[in-house]
Amino acid sequence: MKMKFTAWSGVLVLAAAANVAFAAGPTDPQIAAIVVTANQVDIDAGKLALSKAHSKDVKEFAQLMITDHSGVNKSATELVQKLHVTPEANPTSASLQKGGDDNEAALKKLKGSAFDRAYVDHEVAYHQAVLDAVDTTLIPSAQNAELKALLIKVRPAFVAHLEHAKNLQSQLSKKGA
Amino acid sequence: MPEARWTWAWGVAVAGLLLAGTAASTSPAADAPAGRTIVIENLQFNPQVLAVKAGERITWVNKDLFPHTATAGAKAFDSKAIAPNAVWTWVAQKPGTYTYVCAFHPTMKGTITVQ
Repeated sequence: MKMKFTAWSGVLVLAAAANVAFAAGPTDPQIAAIVVTANQVDIDAGKLALSKAHSKDVKEFAQLMITDHSGVNKSATELVQKLHVTPEANPTSASLQKGGDDNEAALKKLKGSAFDRAYVDHEVAYHQAVLDAVDTTLIPSAQNAELKALLIKVRPAFVAHLEHAKNLQSQLSKKGA
Repeated sequence: MPEARWTWAWGVAVAGLLLAGTAASTSPAADAPAGRTIVIENLQFNPQVLAVKAGERITWVNKDLFPHTATAGAKAFDSKAIAPNAVWTWVAQKPGTYTYVCAFHPTMKGTITVQ
């Protein structure tokens, strides 16, 4: 229960940051920073989970997050270079980074199935929050057509990851503890 | 992203060559089936359901930003990882219905019927 609460508060913080910080919507350089940070945070969590996770399914999920989000970031970085956009840190990217740092710090204290559950709970909350930000803030605000197209292209990955994480979450809760 | 464009173009070119190769080797008739293509994009197989004739060549083209697989049960076929912009080809020999998934993204499902 405590974990669930923590995950939910993370969602609320992120959603609040995404909505409040940009009354006028983020600029393209700010969106670029949000995209790169969002992916990097999940890659970092995946690397930690790959070394600490207990269940094989959770390890496989962690490897998938590293692979997929690295692929997205490679394309995002190439696009940003092509467009000569310099990613600009902003309250949402800072909030994402802090959320990622806090998550890692919390996960490092856990072991075994407690680690698995906390990691997967956070992955569910994280993907839901990023998906909400993509839909309500990032896609509507993106000015450059190619940047908008990239956001639209990566959206299904967040949907699939969210569903995958939810399935894992219910598997882990069935195993009980 | 010139590099990505180039790679994508290369993937398409390879797919084109594969398809052209099939057409040339199977039949000289102009309207002979040149093989079939399934595009993997936005975490979907498109078309999701495909009917082919035995002996037809099916090529999966991965247009997503990360690897996918086309993996059927009962050891029918397994592409293993298909990198972004890469292609994988399978020749359907035995009639039957093959359901397959992406081993990495289990929400991705497809069906091939070999007649």
